[in-house]
Amino acid sequence: MKPRSQLAVLIAALLPASVLASTIEGVVLNNQGKIVTNATIEVEGSDLKVTTDENGKFVIAELNNGLKELHVVAPGYAHLHRDITITNDENQSVTFNLKRSPIEVIDIEATPIHMSAMESASPVSVLSGEQLRRQQAATLGDSLEKLPGVNTNFHGKVASTPIIRGLSGPRVLITQNGLDVSDVSRVGPDHSVASEASTAQQIEVLRGPATLFYGSGAIGGVVNVVDSRVPTDSTTRGEWNVEHNSVDNQKVASFNATTGTDSVAFYADAFWREADDYEVPVAADIDSDDESHSGNYTVENSNEESDGFTVGASYLMDNGFIGLAVEQFNRQYGIPGHTHSDEEESVFADLEQTKVQLLGEYNLDNKWLNKVNLRVGHTDYEHAEIEGGAVGTTFKNETNELRIDLLHNQFNEWNGGISFHYKQSDVEAQGEEAFTPPSETESFAVALMEERHFGDFLVQVGGRIERVTIDAGDVLLPNIDAHAHDEAEEADEHDHDHEESAEITRVFDVEHEFTPISLSAGVVWDFTPNYNLGLSVSRSERAPSASELLSFGPHIGTGTYEVGALFDLDEDGHLGLSDQAIDLETANNIDLTLRKTQGDVGFILNAFYNQVDNYYYQIDTGLFAESGHDHGDEEEGADEHDHSSELPVYLFKTDDVILHGFEAQIAWQLTDEFKVDLFSDYVRARLKDGGDLPRTPPLRFGSELSYQTDKLSAHIHVTRYQKQDRTAPQETATDGYTLVDASISYDLSVLNQDMSVYLRGSNLTDTEARVHSSFVKDIAPRPGRSFALGIRGYF
Amino acid sequence: MKKLYQLKLIALAISTTFITACGDAETNIVEQDPIVVEDEHDHDDDDDHDHDDGYTISSLGRLAVLAGDSNEASFFDLDDNALLDTFVLNDESNTLSASPDFRYAVITNRTQDYLGFIDGGMWREDHGEHLHDYEQGPAFSSYELTSGSRPTHLMTHDGQLAIFYDGDADSGAPASVEVLTDSDITNATPTLPGISYDINMHGVAEPRGEHLLSTIRRDDADNTSVAKVLPDQVGVYHFHDGEYELEQTLEVTCPDLHGAAQNHDYVVFGCGDGVLIAHQQGDVYEAQKVANIEAVGTERIGTLYGHENSDTIFGVAAGHDGSGSVLLSIHPENAEMEEVEWQLADGASAVSYSFSASGEHFLVLDSLGFLNVLTGHDHDGEMHWELAGQVDITEQDVSTMPEGMSFSMTVAQNGEFAYVADPIAQHVVQVHLEDLEVEGELELTFPPAGLTWLGIAEVEDDHDH
Repeated sequence: MKPRSQLAVLIAALLPASVLASTIEGVVLNNQGKIVTNATIEVEGSDLKVTTDENGKFVIAELNNGLKELHVVAPGYAHLHRDITITNDENQSVTFNLKRSPIEVIDIEATPIHMSAMESASPVSVLSGEQLRRQQAATLGDSLEKLPGVNTNFHGKVASTPIIRGLSGPRVLITQNGLDVSDVSRVGPDHSVASEASTAQQIEVLRGPATLFYGSGAIGGVVNVVDSRVPTDSTTRGEWNVEHNSVDNQKVASFNATTGTDSVAFYADAFWREADDYEVPVAADIDSDDESHSGNYTVENSNEESDGFTVGASYLMDNGFIGLAVEQFNRQYGIPGHTHSDEEESVFADLEQTKVQLLGEYNLDNKWLNKVNLRVGHTDYEHAEIEGGAVGTTFKNETNELRIDLLHNQFNEWNGGISFHYKQSDVEAQGEEAFTPPSETESFAVALMEERHFGDFLVQVGGRIERVTIDAGDVLLPNIDAHAHDEAEEADEHDHDHEESAEITRVFDVEHEFTPISLSAGVVWDFTPNYNLGLSVSRSERAPSASELLSFGPHIGTGTYEVGALFDLDEDGHLGLSDQAIDLETANNIDLTLRKTQGDVGFILNAFYNQVDNYYYQIDTGLFAESGHDHGDEEEGADEHDHSSELPVYLFKTDDVILHGFEAQIAWQLTDEFKVDLFSDYVRARLKDGGDLPRTPPLRFGSELSYQTDKLSAHIHVTRYQKQDRTAPQETATDGYTLVDASISYDLSVLNQDMSVYLRGSNLTDTEARVHSSFVKDIAPRPGRSFALGIRGYF
Repeated sequence: MKKLYQLKLIALAISTTFITACGDAETNIVEQDPIVVEDEHDHDDDDDHDHDDGYTISSLGRLAVLAGDSNEASFFDLDDNALLDTFVLNDESNTLSASPDFRYAVITNRTQDYLGFIDGGMWREDHGEHLHDYEQGPAFSSYELTSGSRPTHLMTHDGQLAIFYDGDADSGAPASVEVLTDSDITNATPTLPGISYDINMHGVAEPRGEHLLSTIRRDDADNTSVAKVLPDQVGVYHFHDGEYELEQTLEVTCPDLHGAAQNHDYVVFGCGDGVLIAHQQGDVYEAQKVANIEAVGTERIGTLYGHENSDTIFGVAAGHDGSGSVLLSIHPENAEMEEVEWQLADGASAVSYSFSASGEHFLVLDSLGFLNVLTGHDHDGEMHWELAGQVDITEQDVSTMPEGMSFSMTVAQNGEFAYVADPIAQHVVQVHLEDLEVEGELELTFPPAGLTWLGIAEVEDDHDH
């Protein structure tokens, strides 16, 4: 429910039918003729919004003449869209009939135009309410992985990032309330995302190119974590939760609360989580021939400890609000597989982030503009990788961001607005793993988004132009002795050539300037009642990130020696500056969606075809370089020149890539209590000239049976991951597996407080499940059977 | 007008969707002066390690000297024997030692529950592509440790220093341990990792990377020590998520535990009935007791000296007055203890013991003014230590030694030198340990009570060519 609706009701109730303006009053019913309470009726292109009372009635006052587009929303029902023309200052009386939708329809918060899973031209998913609470995990990728089209890159439970339609890393943008989360999770799979699901209110996923709204980093999609840290109303409410999980002895506690006075609202949330190394059904290492199975297997160094809090306050005005929130986020986690020698030397990361967000919204009484949205963010991020008590590498990211959306009044039936977006980030890494030199990235963008209904057609169009600069004054090109292992003898000769005793590191001052342009157009056609067909076509451009361009050094998280696209191998196999021009990555994407929006059966079928030209990716050069990661290992092993301290050299190159696939979602409401959900998704990611991209998620299908009464809700979830054998060179195939999860929760009221007690079992068959899209699939399978017991309260 | 403009823009947007090449990319690269690093590998066995590559500094290092007649510490440059600076310390009766990486002088005052640090001004940083040395004036660090009670035994190993705070039975303060590195001092780390006990004890802790072996005092009823303030057990603590956790308690007890030392594979503790040897096997330690041999007599081994690269650990068995001490060599690998052939002359007592920087020499400075240099020889796989020579470090009449003072010594970590302070002559002599000769002298204006070498330690070559 939109928070400001109460305010609107209040305004509506206080103003009796005015003589100067018109009123619409009416009632909302379901298709059995029963009244629907708490339905929201919005007047599009304005900020007017009311909810139905206990009799299903509503009144919208203060309307001027003209065509009004009303949007009616109620939980469990399909959204209803209705045009009403008001003439001669008359009052109108209407009845809306809502039809059931077994697929929950929730509007996206973070786009200036109206988007939801059922109604927009491009595909979106929203995780909120009970479903979010059921699926939330310690890391973002794991929280979202049950959504169609979204997979996790599961990094031993301690870090994970969502993979959207096979794309991840610098192509998927993670935002918090529409502002970049600003961590370093985009450059390393072992770097955790600095955002927390347990205090979030909803998480939105835009599948496919979303550069229009978010710019360069969103060519593969966007994940937006929404919470009410800057409260938009002051109704006192809150939520708390404590839970224990058996597989890793995880303890979680969290709460969020909002309160305030008429004009000032306050918000606070906090969470705390602690988990030990998690248990797995088999030896963690796939190559282990450990026969002496004594007790439980665990994934070593997969423990985690995090905590954080947010406080926010806002000033509520009749026409909007403005508020500020500060968040402190801390996390310490082991990095499984992040070992540097045979002697297990465990490495852990210590992450700290301070985030300040200023959000505001103001409704104007202006001829042209009706609303201004303001978002300002400042983020200070730092994470240190610590081994043996000493800091190995420190990563820092300091980001400032400003976004202003100007939404115009309905103009010839067009709704929409213009958005200005500025972002500046300073990223640096210091220490042994500082594979990317310090750089400053700055971008400025202007975007236009519009939508209009033409009869049965909804047209959504947009364009964005951006200017991105990347400045790095200290790009290093060391003269590394990269060599192939099968030329050992030749290399040996080189080793003993002592005449050349000076090592030269070339230094460059690099300035990039990019002007990516994104355009998109989409149509949704309600071709027959209860169904619609969506088509979305977009062309999006992305400026490559600093790490893709400027890297040069060992990256232990991926176990590779990374070399950016600025460099290339010459004929002699030496690394020098590339003579290839650095160009933008361009995605041409077509999305087709067929939906059944209401009735006892609902479905959403998406098919997509995405051709990405100049796709930046890493190729294995077949060469090896010293990791330079010396632990001052005492004598032992120093004289036996083993290759363990050497890493394969991966070079960023560009190629044309084609990704295509589908997502399917079917929901069937069997009875009032029972519901079945089925889903499947698939992506094929290949090079245009042949060959597959690495770590592409396999074909997946799943089903969920739900039982829901007033007090009790139960779910059984079965997901099948097929074998993935479309692999990149040097990559191995991964076996398929089936995961069975179940949960039951019971609502009760204690001391006038709503509470719910729940028990959740995951991986009930205790199966060995290795995630193909994970960098550590061979040493960190998914957790074994686990039971979580928890209690949640609302006030 | 606006309407027209907008529609045009939208039309344009749709039409250009299918047209290629609209974005633009531009890259400017300016090459800067390159960083040149000399090859750091040393390919011959000469002692000549001086490669002048612009980043490393060739220097003998510095000396911090504590005055015996005032609460002052003076810092000298060993290249030209110049006095660099003098610092007034807060209290009297300090002891002086070096930080684990020899950058800082550590001032310990047991009775005042105080540790302070003076930056010697020379240190090395690993910049990845090259090693970078720094040379600055000495400076008092604002960092100090005052939260532990009765800091007593300080043990350094491989870049770490473990401070054992005995606690105080009278005030009820329990014992504790803190572990710090030079960078903790540099960064003034507010909270150091360590151990908090719930009882006081006269104990000791040996830092060993992510492990910390530290003593455990049990309830008096269980404690096999005669003096109950002495612990009788050793715990293996593992550094994990920013704190040390007790992971193992060695099953062999060590009654009246006092003194500890370690080398590459073993940690040895002195017990009333012998020595406790802990052998590291990955994350686990195997314990074994070597019983006292006859030569120990009625005494016990209460002081131990070890070196990372030496297979031998030296033990000193002595009564509480230090008289009649016996020097023993302990070979943890074979679980053996033997009396060293060379022992102090009658009438001489030891005032200081130390390994040289390389671990090839073991030094015993005696009260008669002789520096006895022992070297090890391999006989059929067993190490025997013999006297290589004696260096007479004073021409003074040792009976004129001022009350409460003695000779003292420190060893350089960048060469085979020892520096011996003489309170009678008020100077420090530099002794070359291979040549067994006094090669230099540093004049003082005060009687020295203690000294420590500071500077950039020479690292052993990791690469064997």
